[in-house]
Amino acid sequence: MQTNVPTTSTVLQSLLRADLKTQWRNRRAVILTIAVPVLILYAWRPLVEKAGGPFILGSCITVGLMATGLMGYTNSIAKDRDKGIFQRLRVAPLPSWTIMASRLLVQLLMIFIITGAVLISGYALDNITIPLAGYALAFLAAIVGAAVYLALGQLIVGLIKNPEIVNATTRLVYFVFIMVGMFGSTGLLGKITEQYVIWTPYGTVQTIIAGAVDPSKWTTTTTQALLVTIGYAVVLFVIGIRKFQWSYK
Amino acid sequence: MSDEKNFILDVDNLSIYYGNFQAVKDVSFHVKAGEIFGLLGPNGAGKTSTLSAIDGLLKPHSGIIVVAGYNTKEKPLYAKASMGIQLQSTNFQPELTVEEIIELFAGIYGVDLSKQKLDKLISENNLQESRNKKFGQLSGGQQQRVSLSLCVLHDPKLLLLDEPTTGLDPQSRRQLWERMEAMREKGHGILLTTHSMEEAEAVCDRIAIIDHGKIIEIGVPQTLIDKHRNDPEVIAVSRKGKITLEDVFIGLTGREVRV
Ligand SMILES: Nc1ncnc2c1ncn2[C@@H]1O[C@H](COP(=O)(O)OP(=O)(O)O)[C@@H](O)[C@H]1O
Ligand SMILES: [Mg+2]
Repeated sequence: MQTNVPTTSTVLQSLLRADLKTQWRNRRAVILTIAVPVLILYAWRPLVEKAGGPFILGSCITVGLMATGLMGYTNSIAKDRDKGIFQRLRVAPLPSWTIMASRLLVQLLMIFIITGAVLISGYALDNITIPLAGYALAFLAAIVGAAVYLALGQLIVGLIKNPEIVNATTRLVYFVFIMVGMFGSTGLLGKITEQYVIWTPYGTVQTIIAGAVDPSKWTTTTTQALLVTIGYAVVLFVIGIRKFQWSYK
Repeated sequence: MSDEKNFILDVDNLSIYYGNFQAVKDVSFHVKAGEIFGLLGPNGAGKTSTLSAIDGLLKPHSGIIVVAGYNTKEKPLYAKASMGIQLQSTNFQPELTVEEIIELFAGIYGVDLSKQKLDKLISENNLQESRNKKFGQLSGGQQQRVSLSLCVLHDPKLLLLDEPTTGLDPQSRRQLWERMEAMREKGHGILLTTHSMEEAEAVCDRIAIIDHGKIIEIGVPQTLIDKHRNDPEVIAVSRKGKITLEDVFIGLTGREVRV
């Protein structure tokens, strides 16, 4: 009988191993998250000429990031909280933040997979070539962009306790973003909407990823979009974490 | 306060509020090494709330809690590392297998899990058949045993068991009692909550009866029976002329049904 408090890195490793296994066992949902942006990429082949490769890649990666952050991450947190899985972990000798950190590391992996899949498919299906620096920057921009959706998800689980309602809400938000974002940013909803859409949480993310993919076309607007993106992420995370409760029981 | 150092758990003047509602009122008790202590009370008495303050899920309004010499407010991680915990409703990732869950908790309790240790834990908890099954596919009793196996994984000084035998079949219940007694022999302190008087009489060295957030009696079960055997409320509820712990319990907490 001795008292042994494990190091934070041991704890994080153990949590991460378990969370990765869980993610792997749910791989059907993961595959869908990757398949949707790739399918859009394929469907938009005729638009590449007019809209430009970076725009298309930016849109598709954004769709994938929304799916993983807003739906994958958020719904699993709501579900696991409701089941009491977090409470059992929290009575173990670990700092509570490690539980979330491990979940976010899984999301980081998802961001890399989605971004990689879209960039590779963009080349393979649509023949979109981008400069080498574009690949590296695309991953960075994807991380910043995904932070917005993870933060929004954090806010949703902070405000709503019932996992069914969280699920319905994230689906609705995802749907609205896709509709307004995709059709708005393509000008289908008119010129005015197009101007506003770029400042929505869909538009700024799409803009910075498109800008990152082709750094030679990075403009002042892209920089502004980057600042707004970071602003969204920070504000949503701060409120989301403040409102978050580990249990409602 | 004299030989406080022999206490594995010391709870002093604990009060817990949910908003304006006071669920636990100035509760004090202690558990010694090699002792099984039962917290008895009807539904809603404040048992789980008391345990939540000890295991750190809940911040008490006031009071001092010391686990194995560690103040839970000042050294929360050390206090938690000294406890093996079974929550009233515990759940694990349904996608993970029993072995994977044990590996996870070995990691977060900093336990080196050798193959022998894992095998021993699995067989002691009768999990041989389910060790490679996913948690979500187990029966209620099997899930309960997984949860119990994790309590002793790190050989903790104190065990906190919140209604551990609720939902177990009689065989599993007997077996759990025997395991608790074996832990007691090895010097572990055990705090368990129950509303089974049979359980309290069978395994508890001392009990506290708690109702409406207050401890109304504390002591050795037989002593409490002897003390209250002539109370009119107790005699009124007794059956077949024999006074049991249950009669004392109902006599003290009233006949009214709690939900
Ligand atoms: N999260 C909570 N919010 C408000 N009241 C609560 C909460 N948890 C428990 N209570 C109330 O506190 C009292 C004690 O509950 P609890 O400690 O769970 O009792 P027991 O475990 O003895 O059945 C009950 O009246 C219960 O309704
Ligand atoms: Mg309870």
